[in-house]
Amino acid sequence: MRTIYIGVGLLVLALAGCDGRDPSAEQGKRQLRFVSSARHHTLDPQKMSWLHDIRVAECLFDPLVRMTADGQKVEPATAERWEISADGKTYTFYLRGDAYWSNGQAVTAGDYVFAWRRAMLADFASDYARLFFVIAGAEDFFGWRSGQLGEFAGAAGKLGPEQAAEKAKELYGQAVAQFARTVGVRAVNDKTLEVKLTKPTPYFLELVAFAPFAPLAAADLEDRMTFSPDSGMAQMPANWTEPGTLVSNGPYRLKGWRPDRDLEMAPNDRYYARTEMANDGIVEYFMVDNEQNALLRYQEGEVDWLPDLPTAKPIVADLVARNRPDGHLITAAGTYFYNFNCRPTFNDGRKNPLSDRRVRRALSLGIDRQTIVDKVTRLGSRQPIARSFIPPGMLAGYEPPVEEGAGFEPERARQLLAEAGYAGGAGLDGLAISYNTGAGHEVVAQQIAATWKKELGVAVKLEGMESKVFGDKVKKQDYAIARGSWFGDYRDPTTFLDKFAQGNGNNDAAYRNPEYDALLKQAEGEMDVAKRLEVLRGAEAIMLADQPIGPIYHYVRFELFDPAKVKGLTPNTWNHNRLEKVAVER
Amino acid sequence: MQMPLILAVIFGVTFILAWVVPGNPLERPEGQRPPVEVQQAMLRQYRLDSPWRFLGGYLEGVVWRGDFGPSLQDANQRVNDIIARGLPVSAALGVGALGFALLLGLLAGVVGALRPGSIWDGMSLGVALVGVSLPTFVTGAVLLAVGAGILKWFPIGPWEWPGWAVWERSWWQDCGQMMRHMVLPAVTLGAAPAAYIARLIRLGLAEVMGSDYIRTAVAKGLSPRQVLWRHALKVAFLPVLSFLAPAAAAAMTGSFVVEQVFGIPGLGERFVRAVQNKDQFLILGLVLVYSTMLIVFNLIVDVAYAWVDPRIEVD
Repeated sequence: MRTIYIGVGLLVLALAGCDGRDPSAEQGKRQLRFVSSARHHTLDPQKMSWLHDIRVAECLFDPLVRMTADGQKVEPATAERWEISADGKTYTFYLRGDAYWSNGQAVTAGDYVFAWRRAMLADFASDYARLFFVIAGAEDFFGWRSGQLGEFAGAAGKLGPEQAAEKAKELYGQAVAQFARTVGVRAVNDKTLEVKLTKPTPYFLELVAFAPFAPLAAADLEDRMTFSPDSGMAQMPANWTEPGTLVSNGPYRLKGWRPDRDLEMAPNDRYYARTEMANDGIVEYFMVDNEQNALLRYQEGEVDWLPDLPTAKPIVADLVARNRPDGHLITAAGTYFYNFNCRPTFNDGRKNPLSDRRVRRALSLGIDRQTIVDKVTRLGSRQPIARSFIPPGMLAGYEPPVEEGAGFEPERARQLLAEAGYAGGAGLDGLAISYNTGAGHEVVAQQIAATWKKELGVAVKLEGMESKVFGDKVKKQDYAIARGSWFGDYRDPTTFLDKFAQGNGNNDAAYRNPEYDALLKQAEGEMDVAKRLEVLRGAEAIMLADQPIGPIYHYVRFELFDPAKVKGLTPNTWNHNRLEKVAVER
Repeated sequence: MQMPLILAVIFGVTFILAWVVPGNPLERPEGQRPPVEVQQAMLRQYRLDSPWRFLGGYLEGVVWRGDFGPSLQDANQRVNDIIARGLPVSAALGVGALGFALLLGLLAGVVGALRPGSIWDGMSLGVALVGVSLPTFVTGAVLLAVGAGILKWFPIGPWEWPGWAVWERSWWQDCGQMMRHMVLPAVTLGAAPAAYIARLIRLGLAEVMGSDYIRTAVAKGLSPRQVLWRHALKVAFLPVLSFLAPAAAAAMTGSFVVEQVFGIPGLGERFVRAVQNKDQFLILGLVLVYSTMLIVFNLIVDVAYAWVDPRIEVD
């Protein structure tokens, strides 16, 4: 749309009636209808990191392998089989012969190379670029391309826009060649993809099942890419994720998408397992932060499933308390915690008492976790309190060393504070808890501050701020204590533990312990599964002993659906869905 | 004449505010953070690395191509598209709300002024008081729970729009459907202005009815209806008219609360979130649209003044 908005109101109003898209399905057939709590940020699988985006991408795109509906196993998808070399570092995937895109073209190994390369190009700002760094050469390539773009940005000012775009295209060509030379992803032929890793990665297949590893129809997209004369970055063709233009190879095709209202997917007739699909499409409504309205619609039978109910809000605690048969409470792979800034000095040069691990541990021992889940989240025994960073019972063969964590032990906390030279909290004034306002974090902070004051004599300030300001401060480590949360992406301890590695961009607590880093390194080279997990357990024990964070509780998720009517939904910890296998009866 | 100047000033102030307010638009409080290089590349891509580069690019886009730029929070979405989708919805709702406000306000005001002290006057005052004092999130939630939840007279949502139909329907059926969706939110949004209009009319009318020219009109033998509609109300309506311009702009550009409660995809909610997210492109685009509407409505009211009150001349 290229309207010039001068006195637009009435003009647009007059035109609005002309929007004649055909939205939903024919009457009488079984569709799965559900409500998401947010609008989609993007339908570009390489750029996404939000759960509700990923849920749709998993319907539209078929990766090489998929997780089973219960989230427990990896099973073949577009790759009908694969081989893993003896050293665990080379994977060869063989694509099935009947895999087609919704536009009728065959799915090729090159489509995966194209999509994965996008994720490794700084151009597309993939949130999950880091996941690809297990592939040989990926991290270096990422840096190489970033450097190339940096140089371009420096030189572009001297060129006219057309020359600059031409130059950008040339650089992109060089990047593609560099990728082919240096990165371990190669289409051996149309149906064979070979991937070389930097190290044996036991969870690699699970990564491959994840949305950012989905393929894109390279033949449809590659020639239509454009190049920004400002930044030199490659850009996808305009509107390529719209209904009618999005080419998908998954169980569904995008039938309609009104970004403020709903999204509809219809079965993709080209999908190789089309006959096994259990429903006739999916309608997703967006109700932004509006669970009351969503609940009304669910109770009226207008939707079948509410997957995103916010467990932090009172409405969920009330629903849970009623023990409804259609309520499903699931432990999630996530932890709510407080970051303790571990740097020796604060950004303004003051000495940081939290750099002393005794102080951090004392504060953590002074958190009354049980009261928080009883009185604040109001989920009581249903919300597990946290003594470890990795939630217990969610990784096969790995139980976190909870004994190294901190419970509520005020006596021990007072002792530790005295040992560290802050007896009775003297000298700790002026520390502040930072949090973003508006999401219930203030109540937790008030509760913790009150307990610290009462039990330890430590008076902290509460600093609530707007979320973008908070996010920026945490990243710059410009805080003393900051609320935090983390969700694992794949079933391996490293999805949690890497966060505390030195130099990791998500290490908000600025934690540094060479022993910890050494154990992570050691685990990388360990081929024996049990031994590797043991090494990682040791790493978590070291981290917990140092308490760069005070874990508070582990997250739960709450979903509403009637299992007698909606069949095949299996809510699970890792939030894997196979919506094409869900049957709906009304 | 002053319109471009006013717009330029509003734009300048908004632009400065959006830049000096702390916080990084690309930063989120939780979840995976993209690598540093990616973040820098994104800043360059959106020209957020320097206010001058941003301003240059933005003005060029708006003036030459009518392009308000991309949205920072929703990848692949343009501000133009967001406005084109949301404005008609907000505007339709605003027109409905204003219509309701005028109808109820006029009725209650006239009744109150003609029969001061009567039970009708008491009721109209009561309605006005409730309308002014109750916040929209209360009115909205109550109306939704009663009208849609219990009585089931109205749909719960989501919002319908001609051409959006789920089933095969004609355009007119669509419009009917949209009207049904619009009743509750329009009443919610119109309650406060209705109360305000009622008070303005009641006060104005009471004053006018006691004035000489009305007495003359009555003495000339005009019927009470003619006196009221042709003479008294015309004058008493003037303050309402000047209230209508800002009220129309406010109602038609969307209300965060009403849109939130009823799940309406309008611009009010977008605007609040744009500010929360420091989505500079969206903030600037919406502010420009809002101020344009405000100015245009004020202009319309000025012209209407002359039409209602012949004593005023438009130069």
